[in-house]
Order: sequence, then structure tokens, then C-alpha cells
Amino acid sequence: MDEKRDCEMGSSRRGFLKGGLLGLGSAAVLATLNESAVAQSADPVIVGAPLQLTGAGAADGIEFKQGLELAAEEINASGGILGRQVKIVTADTESGGDDLITSAGQRLIDRDGASALIAGYNFGSQTALQNVAADASVVYLHADTARAHTDLVSKNPGRYWGSFMYCPSELYYGFAFLNFIKHLEDTGQLKAPNKKIAIVTGPLVYSINIANSIKSDAAKYGYEISLFETVQAPTTDWGPTLAKLREDKPGFIVVTHFFPQDQAQFMIQFLANPTNSLVYLQYGASLAAFRDLAGDASVGVLYATNIGVLSGEVSEEFAKKYLGRYGAKASPNGGAQTYEALHLFAQAAALAGGVGKAYEEEQSKKVAARLKESIFRGPTGVIRFDQKAQQAFSYPVQTKDPSLGMAHIFSQIKRKEENGYIISPTPYETAQFELPKWMQA
Amino acid sequence: MDAAIQIIITGLTLGAMYALASVGLALTYGTMGMFNMAHGMFMTIGAYASYSLSSAFGAPLPLALVAGICAGAISGSLLHLLIVRFMLHTEDFQTTIMVATAGVAIALQDLILKRYGAYPFKQPAQIEGSFRLAGTAISYQSIVIVAMAALLIGALAWLLTYTKFGLAIRATAMNQDAAKLMGVRTERTYLQVIVIAGVLASAAGILISSLAGLSPAMGTDPLIRAFIICVVAGLGSVTGAGLAAIMMGLFEAAISYYIGARFGLPVMLGLVVLILIFRPAGLFGRMEVVRS
Repeated sequence: MDEKRDCEMGSSRRGFLKGGLLGLGSAAVLATLNESAVAQSADPVIVGAPLQLTGAGAADGIEFKQGLELAAEEINASGGILGRQVKIVTADTESGGDDLITSAGQRLIDRDGASALIAGYNFGSQTALQNVAADASVVYLHADTARAHTDLVSKNPGRYWGSFMYCPSELYYGFAFLNFIKHLEDTGQLKAPNKKIAIVTGPLVYSINIANSIKSDAAKYGYEISLFETVQAPTTDWGPTLAKLREDKPGFIVVTHFFPQDQAQFMIQFLANPTNSLVYLQYGASLAAFRDLAGDASVGVLYATNIGVLSGEVSEEFAKKYLGRYGAKASPNGGAQTYEALHLFAQAAALAGGVGKAYEEEQSKKVAARLKESIFRGPTGVIRFDQKAQQAFSYPVQTKDPSLGMAHIFSQIKRKEENGYIISPTPYETAQFELPKWMQA
Repeated sequence: MDAAIQIIITGLTLGAMYALASVGLALTYGTMGMFNMAHGMFMTIGAYASYSLSSAFGAPLPLALVAGICAGAISGSLLHLLIVRFMLHTEDFQTTIMVATAGVAIALQDLILKRYGAYPFKQPAQIEGSFRLAGTAISYQSIVIVAMAALLIGALAWLLTYTKFGLAIRATAMNQDAAKLMGVRTERTYLQVIVIAGVLASAAGILISSLAGLSPAMGTDPLIRAFIICVVAGLGSVTGAGLAAIMMGLFEAAISYYIGARFGLPVMLGLVVLILIFRPAGLFGRMEVVRS
């Protein structure tokens, strides 16, 4: 809760709007800026992308790469950044820890000459690349969804001026989930057999923080935590964990271990002998890989993301373009993240008068200042940075205005062939909540 | 009661997959003194070959399984013919072959990544559905995994125990020079051993991918567990590796249920440390099994 309060205090809405910059279609804004620009250099702008292209997080890493490629093509078609073409160079972080992540980021800057780093999420402590960016005086945009970022940047803004998390931290998942299930019960959409929540988490900080945030606030919403289990990654045979769940018979099962492969097996094995429980799977279920692996067992599952493709013109147009380009197995939810981050960066850099160079902080600081002022509408919603923590505001947890925050969406899978339908929050919902087929009315 | 049945089913399923992964590794070490770091890649190659044939060409399940196993056998023979045989008589073979096979594993993993990407494809070679036993749901896939492991390991045991071919392998494992003097063509025996290891590992890979999906790095975790099992069993002890794998599977499932799922692997590693302290040759190993 402290972080929530800090964020609200970090930037008043009035103060933000004073210097705000509204991104009404980055390509159009860029094209206008490029019209009057004289190319500053014939050299391309190198954007370094430290991505997990192999290992457990690769399903997302590939989407992040594709999102960057698509955005770069669009930006280049609009004239690049003030006449300079954008070139994406990737380095594989191998779904590894800080050592691999740091060396990937460092290689991109020192060997490839990256002027900025843009990523989706990486594992590790989620503070490694902020340090690489700070040492090299470059801008770094990421979607780690990590409280570690907000703590780091808030405590030392003089060092981490260039690091931005373009989504809210994972802590909001806790409040949002509890709020959501309470709303389902209060409105009569769900009659759970009891108030018990069983939490299954994984070994990574993201999963653990979300599980802990649900655990710490459950009582305030009238729920009790009946089981708290931590599994290894990967977990392919869920037998012992499912035996505990079947004994516990909770009204709600929350799996915050987010690997889509493991979540798919969880659902397949759970449905062999299901309990009367609402099942919520953190993030992984939003990926096409989950539906592909789980098949029919994916139908009825709930998931949430605070950086997912929304409904509406901007989002649907992106999803159509992305799926048309990368095929039906692609996940717009993943690709959209880096897609909008690169567009946001390009627009801010153009407005700042061009990108900076590594180890020369003056120009990169101008770009960072523009980023801080931006209100940017991408496929996943509105990116507006908290001025202190440099993370995107969350709607509806931190702001009640959907045009000023990144939507924290809850979705339900209705058909295995399709992405989940958004069932909350307003105004983005595309379907109503339906009782999963394994639950009793 | 339900929990006990679930633990046994999970333990046997895990144990069967571990057994297939570790028996080939134990056989290779026991016969040649070679720790094959590319053993995990045999699993990956088998899984992808089965997937490719089944999904791209619509081959029926049995044919796809056979193709996957054949791919493992071919990978094993190529590893021997192109690399191992040239290093067999070099100084510090046991160390250098680990480095060489680790290099092969990295290169193969990159090739698979290049060809297939990192998307976790679903393994078509699986059987869906389940049945109930005393209220506990048991998937047909678990039964297939246990049955396939029993069949392949049983066939290997028969081969090693009752055939001249097996006798040659056992003789080579005991004393390479003596075997040569008795007329055993040890170089051919080595090739046969690696092919068998490839067959078993690829079968393990197909079964593991039926639960976890495919990924270029899918062999890494099973390889680590296979190493642990080989150490617990006693390096080079084939029967011991099979038994230790089943024991470890059951142990891990019980630990997961009674203590917590996250303690499965740490407790296994703790057990290895204890065994190495009190029984350096492993539970089923004899000092003479290990080639000096």
C-alpha cells in the first residue's frame, strides 16, 4: 500500500498535465517532426534489445523481438528519428540471472553502439540493466513489472534518471485480484463455496511478490489463505500440489508461477479431477503458447495483466496487424509491449532533438525528460510515468481515469483458438464473466 | 489414501522419465568412462524429430515415436563416429570428452533454436484422458510413460544379461584390455553403447516433452537430475541407476507433498551429499565398477 501512496504523491495529475505530452498516434507525430528535420547523421540509431530469446522466458522474448521489429519498420517508414533510420540489435539474456543480463546489456552498448536499451521483461534481480544504463548514460525502457525498479529509482533518481518501467509494478496484482473477486461475489456473478484462497507461487521474485501481496491483504477483503505452496520451475507433474488442493477444496486457486508450459500442465491435470474453485493464472495464460499446450483445458481460465492489449480501435488495429504479420500463434500481448515502448522512445527522442550517445549524458537526459512528460496511448493503454518512481500509472488501482493509466485487465478464455476476452475494467470489457464449466452454480 | 495413490503415481511417472534419462548415461560412463554432456541433447533431438514427423507430415503416433527414437540412435552414432572415437585413447579422456560433448551440446542447441525457434510447441505424441483409481485421477499419459520406460529398460536389461552383445558390453566395462584379449571389438562396443544411450535418451525426451512441451533447452534439467541419479546409484551402475531413478521419483513426490514442492530438488541434492560422504561409491556401486 505504501508504494500506491508514494506513486500518488509522486506526481499530481495537475502537475503532470501542465507539462504533459499526448501521444495521438506516434507515427503521425513522428512523420510531422521528420518533415521539417534535416537528417542529423547517415548512421542509423541503434536500439539495443536485451531479450530472453532462449530458455524458460523465450516464448515472451520472441514476441518482444517481433514487437520491436514491427515498430522499427513503422518508424523508418515515417522517416526514422529525425531522418535517422532505427536499427534493432538484440542480445540474448538466456532467461538467466543478472550476470547474463548485465553482459548482454553491456555488449549492446559497447560493441553494437546502442543509444538506448529497450526490453520487455527479464529475470534476475530486475535491477541489473538499470545499472548498465546508468553507467553508460543511456535511456532504458522495460516492462519488468517489478517493485525492485520503483524502489531503486525512487531512492536514487540522480543515478537512474534514464530508467523507465512502462507498466505498473507487480504489487498491484494483489489488490486488483482481491478487488476483482470481491466484485464478482458482491454482484452475484460468482457464488464461491467458501472464502478460502489457495496460492501456488514459483521461485521468481515476480511470482513471489504477487503471491505475498495477495496473502498480506486477503483478510482485509474477507478472505483467508488456506494454502501457500511454492513450486520449482519447471514443474511438469503437479500431482502432489493438486493432492493438497483437492484436500483443501478452496473457493479460489491462484497460480502466480507464470510459465505458460507449467500452467498448461496444471490445468490439464487439475481438470482430471477438479475442485469447485475459480482458477486464476498469473500472466502465462495470456500467451498463445498456454492455449496451444492446454487446449480445451484452457477454457474458463481467468488471467490478468497490467500490460495487455485492450479493446478499441488502436488496440484491435495493432492486434490485427501483428497477427497478420506473425501468424495466429503469435501473442499480441507480448509484442505490443516493446512495440509501444519503441514508438514512445522514438517520439520522445524526436521531440528532444535526437537520440543521445552512450557515455554522453546531456542528450539522453533531454530524451528522458520528454519521456517523463509523455502521455502515450499504445495498444496496451496509456503510458504516463509517475515522476518519482518512473513507472507507468495503473488504472483503476492508482487512477480512476482510464485515459491516464495503464489498464489492469482481467480476461477469461472462452475459446482455445482465441485470446481471452476482457471482462474488467470498464470501458475495455468485451465480454461478461462466465462460470467455468468445472464449477457448480 | 487419495494422497498416497497420487504420490505413488507421480513418483512412478517422474521416476520412469528419470530412469530413461539416467540409465543411458550410466551405461556410457560404466563402459567407456565417458560423462556425455550432450546426453540431454539426445532427449531434445528425439523430441523434436517426433514432433516434426507427426506435425509436419501427419505421421501416426507409433511412427513418430519410432522416428524420434531413431533420431536419438543416429545422433549417438554420429557423436561417436565424428568425435568420440578420435578422443578415446587421448590423455585425460574423461576430462576432455566432457568439454568436447559440452561444446557439441551447445552447438546442437543453437541449431535447434535456429531451425525451430523457442516457441514451446505441443508434443503431438501423447495420449489424452484419464481414469479413476480409488477416487484418484490417473492420466493415460502417465501409464504410457511408465509402460514405455519399463519396456525399454527391460529390453536393455535382457540385452545386457542374456545376449553375447550384452556380454561384450559388460566385459568391456569390467576390463577393456581383457575384453580385447578375449576377442571383443571394443571400439564397436563403444559405438553400440552410445547408440543405446541415444535411444533411451530420445525416448525420455519424447515422454518429457509430452508433459512439458518442446524447447531447445528442454534437456538441461533432466540431464542435471540424471547426473544426480547416477551419482546416487554409483557411477556406471546401470541397474542401480534404474532403481535409484524410481526411488528418487517417489522420494521427490513424497517430499513435495509432505514438506513442500520447492524442497524436492534441494532435498535430493542434500541426499547426494550424504551419500557421497557415507557411501562414496553410491548406493549400488562397487569401487571396481568405476574404471580407473
